[in-house]
Amino acid sequence: MTTNVTNEKNVIDARQLTKRYGEIVAVNHLDLTVRRGEVYGFLGPNGAGKTTTLRMLLGLIRPTSGAASVLGAAPGSAESLVQVGSMIETPAFYPHLSGRDNLVVLAKYTGAPVTRIGEVLAEVDLAARADDPFRTYSLGMKQRLGVAAALLKDPALLILDEPTNGLDPAGMAEMRSLIRQLGTGDRTVLLSSHLMTEIEQICDRVGVIARGALVAEGTVDQLRGDESLMIRVDRASEARKIVSGLHGVTSVTADHGVLHVSAGNRGDIDPAYINGRLVAQGIGVQELRWDRSSLESVFLELTGEHGHGDDRPMADAHPDGYLKGLREVTHV
Amino acid sequence: MFKRGIDMVSVELFQMRHRVSTWVLFALWGTAALFFNYVLPYLVDDVGSSSGRESSAFGLLMPDQFVNVMSGGFPFYGGAIALILGVLTVGSEFGWGTWKTLFTQRPGRIQVFSAKMAAIGIILVPFSILVFAVGAVASSFVAWREGVEIAWPGAQSVVEAMLAGWVILAVWAAVGVLLAVVTRGTSLAIGLGLLYTLVIEGLLSAFSNQISWLEPIANIFVRANAYSLVRALGSVSGADADGPGAFAGPFVSGTQALVVMMVYIVVFLGISAWLLERRDVV
Repeated sequence: MTTNVTNEKNVIDARQLTKRYGEIVAVNHLDLTVRRGEVYGFLGPNGAGKTTTLRMLLGLIRPTSGAASVLGAAPGSAESLVQVGSMIETPAFYPHLSGRDNLVVLAKYTGAPVTRIGEVLAEVDLAARADDPFRTYSLGMKQRLGVAAALLKDPALLILDEPTNGLDPAGMAEMRSLIRQLGTGDRTVLLSSHLMTEIEQICDRVGVIARGALVAEGTVDQLRGDESLMIRVDRASEARKIVSGLHGVTSVTADHGVLHVSAGNRGDIDPAYINGRLVAQGIGVQELRWDRSSLESVFLELTGEHGHGDDRPMADAHPDGYLKGLREVTHV
Repeated sequence: MFKRGIDMVSVELFQMRHRVSTWVLFALWGTAALFFNYVLPYLVDDVGSSSGRESSAFGLLMPDQFVNVMSGGFPFYGGAIALILGVLTVGSEFGWGTWKTLFTQRPGRIQVFSAKMAAIGIILVPFSILVFAVGAVASSFVAWREGVEIAWPGAQSVVEAMLAGWVILAVWAAVGVLLAVVTRGTSLAIGLGLLYTLVIEGLLSAFSNQISWLEPIANIFVRANAYSLVRALGSVSGADADGPGAFAGPFVSGTQALVVMMVYIVVFLGISAWLLERRDVV
């Protein structure tokens, strides 16, 4: 059952959104809030439920339960769709028509002026090939046409699902710059991706989805958490005792000869002093530096995709327990 | 609102016009009508010979009979071609994934579907006109070649036959649309549609002459009603012919046939629209 959840500051409000396919739960009681004017990153591994969620927000799929509102109207309603530009998964157009003619078809459906077609084609740098049949386009060109189609209505909300798929590195950089540019002003962008760098570069806020549920939400900095002092030593248990007793230190964890030292503020502890104390006790210090979890390691930990990237156990890195920290982030 | 509706139908016509398959079906329809109704009878029966001129087949090749001759193709291969057109128009949208593109624009699903159905309906007008134009030209050629004076059928009978032909094509196109929506594609829909059109209805209709309880069922078949409709208008093909296009009944009245066919269009398109509206687009 879908009902409106209206909040003028929020462009998208989804509450307890759930989609089941028999025994399979594709989206599980998802709460999602996207604020007006922000670029929101929807980050999750393949199969996490990102596209299913976006389809529900566009009215392509009906939720099994939960409520959602898009621009103050029911998902998929004319009131909502008239203000939403979208590209879901692979762009789909008529293969026998040119890129330009495909946009003419959509312009007639949306009521957008046909003069807008030239503008959006230029915006995505596709004007030179616009009159070629869509079936001759490379995947990157198809992506560009998909974004052009999404922009046709000059929408208040842009929903883009993996928009850099199939683009070469230069194309990816251009597309990211374009999305960032499109997200300025009042326009809101909801960007789905599994690429950490993309989300990190483009998005104001990030929601991480895993197994159909939102497991964290906040800015990139909030998700990465505070910095800690990383010290690689030869006698970790002794070193831990020494460092734990120092002024300003709030917690110390040890893992395979590496200490992670946390403080209330970075200025509360002095790395040179700690180094001196350890060396004075005859402990060899091999490495000492400020460290912060990468978004990738946070992502892998949150989504349960261990075995890649940073293998430092997150619960150790954050003495209060990582999930507790994330719950706090969720309410930022 | 009205202007947007017109715009939607016009772009659907635009994209259908640019599809090669639309033109292939159009050409196939005209060629089949010419071949089966004029070329084959003229060559095989040698109706142009002195003995052949005395046969009834020769008379059927004359211009005054082209409406009755060409009408007989609508319930048979015309239906199969219209079914394929209906399947391709709707089923390809599933294959290309373009439903999601269209359904995330402003209009609702029913409006998008209605625009497509209106476009099919309009496209079927030239399909209906084509075979009669082919018949007029071919019969004139035969008459000229055989030195027979040309006499034309009345304008009213031509228009009635075109309208009846359009209704028959529309029913079969609606069957194609329904199958495409149910199977969410083209291949299975075309296979099932042709099997039903050419085999199942034909066989059951044939058995209905021997099994009495089958007759009421056969009376509501598309094939029976389509043949009945063209027969009521004077069509001579089908009933006396042999081969896959042969149809020996049961026949119903022309009015009943027209009503049943119109009901079929509404029911098939209604179910299709309902399914399209309530199903997820994945």
